[in-house]
Amino acid sequence: MKYLFFFIGSLAVALALFLILTFSMDPGHTDELALDEPIVIVFKATVAGQPMDFWSVVQQGVNEAAKEFGVEVMITGPDHERQIDRQINIVNRVIEEEPPLLILAASDYYLLGESLAVAAEKDIPVITVDSGVDSPHPVSFIATNNIEAGAKAGNEIKRLLPDAPAASIAIISHIRETATAIEREAGVRQALDSTAVAGTWFCENDEKIAYDHTMKLLEDPGISGIVALNEIVTLGVARAVRDAGAADRLTVVGFDNAPEELAFLEQGIIKATVVQRPYNMGYMAVKTAVEYLSGRKVDPEIDTGSVLITAENMFRREYQELLFPVNDG
Amino acid sequence: MRRLFGRLGTLESRFYLIFTFLFFATILTMQIISTRFTITSVRNATLENNRSLVGELTTGIDAYIESMDRISGNIISNPGTQEFLAAKEPSGELRMKIQDRFAAYIEARGDVSGIVLFRGDGDAVNDDGTDPAVFSDYTNSHWYRNALEARGDTVLSTAYVQNLVPGRYSWVVSLSTLVTDPGDDPALGVLLVDLKFNRISELCETLVIGEKGYNFIIDSSGDYVFHPSQQLVFSELKEEPLDDLLPLLVEDRPLLRKEGRNYLIAPSGRTGWYVVSVSFDSDLLTGWPYVQLMNALVGLVLFMIVGLVTNFITRGVTRPLRQLQDVMKSVETGEFRLAGELEGTDEIRELAREYDLMVGRISELMEENIHEQELKRKSDLKALQAQINPHFLYNTLDSIIWMGEMDRSGEVVKMTSALSRLFRISISRGKELIPLRDELEHVRSYLTIQEMRYKNKFRYLIDIPEELMNHTVLKITLQPLVENAIYHGIRSVDYEGLIEISGYDEDEDMILTVRDNGRGIDPAKLARLLQDDFVDEVDGPRNEGTGVRNVHERIRLYFGETYGLSYQASDNGGTLITIRLPADGREKA
Repeated sequence: MKYLFFFIGSLAVALALFLILTFSMDPGHTDELALDEPIVIVFKATVAGQPMDFWSVVQQGVNEAAKEFGVEVMITGPDHERQIDRQINIVNRVIEEEPPLLILAASDYYLLGESLAVAAEKDIPVITVDSGVDSPHPVSFIATNNIEAGAKAGNEIKRLLPDAPAASIAIISHIRETATAIEREAGVRQALDSTAVAGTWFCENDEKIAYDHTMKLLEDPGISGIVALNEIVTLGVARAVRDAGAADRLTVVGFDNAPEELAFLEQGIIKATVVQRPYNMGYMAVKTAVEYLSGRKVDPEIDTGSVLITAENMFRREYQELLFPVNDG
Repeated sequence: MRRLFGRLGTLESRFYLIFTFLFFATILTMQIISTRFTITSVRNATLENNRSLVGELTTGIDAYIESMDRISGNIISNPGTQEFLAAKEPSGELRMKIQDRFAAYIEARGDVSGIVLFRGDGDAVNDDGTDPAVFSDYTNSHWYRNALEARGDTVLSTAYVQNLVPGRYSWVVSLSTLVTDPGDDPALGVLLVDLKFNRISELCETLVIGEKGYNFIIDSSGDYVFHPSQQLVFSELKEEPLDDLLPLLVEDRPLLRKEGRNYLIAPSGRTGWYVVSVSFDSDLLTGWPYVQLMNALVGLVLFMIVGLVTNFITRGVTRPLRQLQDVMKSVETGEFRLAGELEGTDEIRELAREYDLMVGRISELMEENIHEQELKRKSDLKALQAQINPHFLYNTLDSIIWMGEMDRSGEVVKMTSALSRLFRISISRGKELIPLRDELEHVRSYLTIQEMRYKNKFRYLIDIPEELMNHTVLKITLQPLVENAIYHGIRSVDYEGLIEISGYDEDEDMILTVRDNGRGIDPAKLARLLQDDFVDEVDGPRNEGTGVRNVHERIRLYFGETYGLSYQASDNGGTLITIRLPADGREKA
């Protein structure tokens, strides 16, 4: 009886030591996270358009990171970016399910704050990607620094039009109350002399309105440059310039990298475009999620960067992959 | 805790602790060594296996490029091609013919992205009739310049986005060749065959090792030809150890191991590329956690067995010791238990045997001691009984009465007071050891009484030096001897008897002698007189020697075997009894 104590004690110690020592020698030791449930990602839009569609590329980055870090992810979201109510419903339903972590690309800066408050109550960590939410809860915000991106566009047009007279550059923005639009515009204005800006035109994220604005602006001989703040606006502006044959007298700097935009760029209709890194955005979102769930400290804001692409550098090796989908036969 | 440390003091727990520790260390060391060995051999075997997989990949790439090279050669050697290039103004018909052939190639080979034939003057024909040279300055592109430099050899480009046709951007690897006139070797034009790069990237992505493994391709200068996570690589979110890999390219069977990843490098001879296959230890050694768990369990089972065996061995050693300990404890309670036949080692059995001998001897001695004490009591009692012999008392009192009737009051007083002294000393307040002076007083009183009773029958002489007077003697030592001399020596002779009592020191001993001149004792009887079993057939129970033998026994009981009485025939015909006593009267221990 007396020695039973000894025997059991030494057995317990032995078991512990054997286990610790053998497992500390794990040759394929990785700090992989083991999650019961997948991390849920809610995008602004999930219907994949063209291969280089922004959200498809984000998703590629997500998948790459999920594979690398060995976590399961579930991607959901409304079909189109403008379906804000639908996104809110989806987010609320996801929060009901209590996923280990939620990655959200918010369609609206204000309207999703309430949902995130519920998530915080349920201790579900949230990481916002691309577009933020007016909420203190997200542990990290992973996006392009849009002010910086705007400044790149502004600087480029300043370089192309060094002696731009007053009120010679127009800014065409996609939508009035969107963080990306406001920040990009601020960035452009920051880079240019304030007098050089003729004004900002809004087009409700509609290519046709952007086209019409451009046609009107072309009638004004004082306007020598246009900065278009997103893909849709850029395409509208570029088409107008092409149709008017005005590429020589109007300098256009756009945003994003739809294949059509790249063709315009190559043809000289667009002089430059500021391209975000959606692949890195998706990758970093999942990477940050894994780090956070592993208990490591994560940066509250991560800038995934942007690149200024011109006809000269668009075929450079390091940008080819960013601009052109490799799986396009 | 104190109880625990208390237990550590026992032989058993120490044995146990030491054995367990030693065996634990041994088992663990063995496990670690075998685990290391297993890891290394499993990994090496897997990697060797993988190398053939990567070899397949490079072979696939080589074969693919080779087949494209043949297409390129076929086109160049086709007379139509030569004709088109050599013509000053190629006809639309020829152009269509070439275009159809190109289209046929593309249709036949799904992996050809485009074929373009450039004339030196900038005119070109391609597979779908579009004008390939609208916006791009192809003469400046790497594939064009490299083809010019190679002077007729086919040049292979790295992967890039082909932008010859506006709005059609595709990832290709190009084979470009300068077409020359077979005769006098002037440059005629350049043939470009674009291969869909996804054919190669598919190869790379199919032949991966494990769940997380991937392949990438670099050229000899360390530039990426292909990487599955190209965007991450270029934005430096992901880095490959190119600095470590580049020096390895020239080696035979190069392999780099870094941070749980294995980089196998295989050169592709045709392209000059290097395929790097990355595999993860965690993939190579799948099921490793089970192996480890098994290792841990096997270790535990071994440890348990060793523990049980140690327990068994330890108990084998300590159980007899514990039994012996229990037996020894019984001594404390006065119970002399013997260990008997213990199961144990030779040393322990020997110990038990010695112990039994010792205990046996002790209990024997104790019994002896008890027996002696009993004897003492008995013989003391006998001596006293002998004193208060009613016969003697009756005779003495009878003599006193008789003397009283005869009005010899002086004698009555003398005898009565002698009797009184005799008894006083006999009793002497219960003490057994008295000074020789008192003992002489006692014997003198007795002699006085007997002298008066046996008038003129004997006389006595006491000659003891004064310095002996304070020596201690056992009381009632002399009187039985004197009594014996009177009754058995002197009473039956017809001459006047003489009893002499004398004494002297001899070394540490005191010698007292009682000598009579009576009838003496038969020498044969004399020798046996002091033996325990002596029975006098003649005299009966109240026989000669009983009182004397009691004295002898008492002396030996009190002072030891070296003391006591001895009989001798006296030179005057009587008997001489010698008493040997310790001079200091010390009792034996």
